[in-house]
Amino acid sequence: MISFLILMSTVVCFSAILALALNFQWGLGGMVNFGLTGLYALGAYSCALLMLKGGANTFFATVGAMAIVAVACGVVALITLRVAEEDYFAIVTLGVGEMLRLVALNEDWLTKGALGLTGVPRPFGDVIAPNYYQYFQFGLAFVLLLSTVWFLNVIARSPFGRIVRAVREDDVVAATLGKHVLWARVRIFAIGGAFIGLAGALHAFYYQYIDPTQFSNIVIAYAFMAVIAGGRGAHAGVIFGAAAVMVLLEGSRFIKDLIPILDSDQLAAIRIIMVGVGLILLLIFRPQGFMREYRLKSES
Amino acid sequence: MLQTAFNGLVTGIIVTLPALAITLLFGVLKFPNFAVGSMMTLAAYMVFALNVQLGVPLAVSTAIVAVAFGGLLIGVDYLTFRPLRERGSITLMVASLGLGFILENIARLAYGNTARSFAIELARPFRFFDIRMNREQMITIVVSTLAMLAMYVLLTRMPIGRAMRAVADNPALALVRGIESPRVIRWTWFIAGILLAVGGVLIGMDRALEPPMGSNYLITVFAAAILGGLGSPLGAFVGALIIGIISELATFVIPPNYRIGIPLCVIAMILIFRPQGLFGQPYIRK
Repeated sequence: MISFLILMSTVVCFSAILALALNFQWGLGGMVNFGLTGLYALGAYSCALLMLKGGANTFFATVGAMAIVAVACGVVALITLRVAEEDYFAIVTLGVGEMLRLVALNEDWLTKGALGLTGVPRPFGDVIAPNYYQYFQFGLAFVLLLSTVWFLNVIARSPFGRIVRAVREDDVVAATLGKHVLWARVRIFAIGGAFIGLAGALHAFYYQYIDPTQFSNIVIAYAFMAVIAGGRGAHAGVIFGAAAVMVLLEGSRFIKDLIPILDSDQLAAIRIIMVGVGLILLLIFRPQGFMREYRLKSES
Repeated sequence: MLQTAFNGLVTGIIVTLPALAITLLFGVLKFPNFAVGSMMTLAAYMVFALNVQLGVPLAVSTAIVAVAFGGLLIGVDYLTFRPLRERGSITLMVASLGLGFILENIARLAYGNTARSFAIELARPFRFFDIRMNREQMITIVVSTLAMLAMYVLLTRMPIGRAMRAVADNPALALVRGIESPRVIRWTWFIAGILLAVGGVLIGMDRALEPPMGSNYLITVFAAAILGGLGSPLGAFVGALIIGIISELATFVIPPNYRIGIPLCVIAMILIFRPQGLFGQPYIRK
């Protein structure tokens, strides 16, 4: 049981990093990211491939994954060059995410397609005894989560953080005040992307095996739910949101014991329906989430 | 080559109905609805239930479901989007994403992940000169053309169609002229429901029925609507045909698995070079 809790807390940690990344792009920067799943997969695959094909060690693979996803996100953000409407940007991110998932599924020479990549090395995997590894892994994920929160907090309170919020609230006003809106957007999206890459790398370390089915819609549904529940822009809230949603999702496994006729596909469907309903209910009844953004009154 | 272009034309024709639905919904409600793909899936499965499980002919079951689905969407809108109407397009988009997950997974819950198909007997393809045309393609062309003509009459000749265009054009002015927007919104959902149900059946005939069938078309449908100028019905029609032909011809150059890349590139190019689309008005903010 202890071991189950430790493993689940590890999952909560890297899922919370993903939710924080989304929160930075969407909650703080106002750039909604519907391609989250694909970019998360890009992070996981880059990390695994840098080690398996590129011979990098775990540290450089993680940094590499962060850099790759950050660059990918930055390029996507350039699309807002002329059209700044969120509507179009959301559609573009959705398309990019789908495209990345297709690449993972179809490029057999690189990603082994539907078979997936096996034997992904873990940080210090050969130094630490297997019995203790889960504790180390949780510790590592937890430290990285804390560092992410610290880093994003620093950014949110820096002058750049104020530009980010200004761009979210009204890009025309920000531009009028002499702020370079496009460049700010690219940086917002790229910084968020780096943390999506970090979460993806931790995902690869945790499972040691990645295949395209792990990157289904549940990832994006989960992350949006966590951000909305936690309160857009509030970092601590997002972590609690991520933990709460994960506990609900994991808890829904026990539905299977109650209603034994369901198969695993149906169970997965029920979980996504639950998340979808929760998402809409939260948006309607508690759009400001359960915690407030730093130094800002709630919007509604 | 000619055959491929023809197949592309048919793909484009399939896309016209959902593209028109998206563009109408965007025009009246002012946000891109990410649930339309899953709506098509759900409608197609409802037709499947009538057609295969109860043995009603396909045309009749499509007609029944189309009307019922229009009504269903009015209910869905009342529960999900109406309370969020004033909240800005990001909130509405996220809600539509969540709604899409719900609808697609209701279909998955009921029928699982296995691919299914409608009860239609196989027929030999026709031949016109050098072009092969199978029966499904012919049905698609006829049905879509009729639907397009009906939409044209509705939007230009009927009071509710003119009211929809007025609200899409300028909601405040429409309100001043005494057009009730809740009524227009209900009608828009009803019409979009019919278009999406028919579109879902056409897609199910072209490929197979499976839970992601609708969302797989989402990017293509958006590309068609954006190419034509979001909010412009005529644009959606022309945009869909162009996207269909381009993406089918592109399979000569790129692997078919990445067909979705073409609409994506089209969207990117339009947004950079001609954001208002082919038929849209340049949009001035604030």
